[in-house]
Amino acid sequence: MKEELFASGRNIPNIDPTLNIWHWQIPSYLFLGGLAAGILFFAGVFTIMGKEEQMSATVKKAPFLAPIALILGLFLLFLDLKHKLWFWQLYTTIRLESPMGWGAWVLMIMTPISLIWSASYIRELFPGWDWKFKFLKSFETWVIKNRILIAWPMVIYAVILGIYTGILLSAFNARPLWNTSILGPLFLVSGMSTGAAVILLMSNNHEERKIIGRLDILLIVIELFFITHLFMGDKAGSEAQINAVNLFLGGSFTAPFFAFVVVLGLIFPALLEIMELRGYKVPIAVPAILILLGGFIFRFLIVEAGQMTRYLY
Amino acid sequence: MKKMNFDGSQYLNPYLGGVILGTVLLLSFYISGRGLGASGAVKNTVAATVNAIAPKHVEASAYYSQFAGGDHQPMSNWLVFEVLGVLAGAFLSGIIFNRLKLKVEHSPKITSRRRLLFALLGGLIFGFGTQLARGCTSGAALSGMAVLSLGGYITMVAIFGTAFAAAWLFRKNWI
Repeated sequence: MKEELFASGRNIPNIDPTLNIWHWQIPSYLFLGGLAAGILFFAGVFTIMGKEEQMSATVKKAPFLAPIALILGLFLLFLDLKHKLWFWQLYTTIRLESPMGWGAWVLMIMTPISLIWSASYIRELFPGWDWKFKFLKSFETWVIKNRILIAWPMVIYAVILGIYTGILLSAFNARPLWNTSILGPLFLVSGMSTGAAVILLMSNNHEERKIIGRLDILLIVIELFFITHLFMGDKAGSEAQINAVNLFLGGSFTAPFFAFVVVLGLIFPALLEIMELRGYKVPIAVPAILILLGGFIFRFLIVEAGQMTRYLY
Repeated sequence: MKKMNFDGSQYLNPYLGGVILGTVLLLSFYISGRGLGASGAVKNTVAATVNAIAPKHVEASAYYSQFAGGDHQPMSNWLVFEVLGVLAGAFLSGIIFNRLKLKVEHSPKITSRRRLLFALLGGLIFGFGTQLARGCTSGAALSGMAVLSLGGYITMVAIFGTAFAAAWLFRKNWI
């Protein structure tokens, strides 16, 4: 390995005063991780509630996207690594205070659970499917019988995964915009909302769409509250945090953040969903796609702006 | 007041629509410091797209280099955001009055294909014209007239005068 030695703590290219190391891979991964967490959370919760049949898109169809999102996300994380061949050391170094360690382990648990979950519904959605080997068939029978047993850890780990996508950022104590614990819940709620949007896109059952639509409106309201909370917390913080949040309150990120995330990604789709629940004919794909785009842009803006913020001047 | 229909047949009184549009224009000046516009958003989007694909061409072009390349940020523009709002507002209005349907509106005497072809041709000519005139019906005429700019009045007379004169030639597309 060829590393450079810095004698000074200041003016390190790409690290100080502004960070310039995270590009499109990280926000894309955060989006995919949050999306998978949201989908698996709803699948697990409605299974525990015994509503597999009424909520079939939530429990059976949408989870097929989760392992695809997780594996693609993991691949993006791998692309981001500088020393790619050393990725396995994340699994041999156990450090409770390391968010990357947490993430690596949560993904290590969530990806197989999501694969097993979707695999157990393959025969129901594709009746011609044959598992070929006897041990696969008997494993499938066991999973089908014990779905609730699997749903519990799936729900719990989905919450951890959703929170972790925010904690990955907030653990950076050198970046004032990220260095707030509200990012964890904010990213969790945003991920759940994007998961709900995917379910809305996939469901053709009116009742199911109504339940998920209502949940999504609630999630959007909570998300707006958390965003306000993030801004108010920073505004009441140190000078560095005030400068950080000013990027969104008058600075260069204001227009894209409020236009694409707050208005077109949250308030407008919530309004459309409310109108749909009130009986207006709304093509549900429109609010769903807007929520997905809003969630995607939200992560890009937070990652990009956070890297520009700093404590020392 | 007349009862409103929600079966897709209801349209706003055009005089009231005009007053509302004027109020929007006033608010636009008050909030953003600029008037309304449509062609500007298209121009900036085109310039940003060309800059993303062929930055060297933008640098060399006297026209594109005014808006894109170098320090220019064509998408960070009030008109781009305003047009997104127009789309969102129109979508809402379509939902409320139950008019949200994918269709081509045309005279029963012509085909959809002919209508789309003429719309495309008209759009191309109009788009070209807006760049010569530095604005379209909203950006140059409406916003210009609102601030008593002589160019705004000339643009308005030219756009509607030409359309009035040329309408006879194309009347068979409608009546």
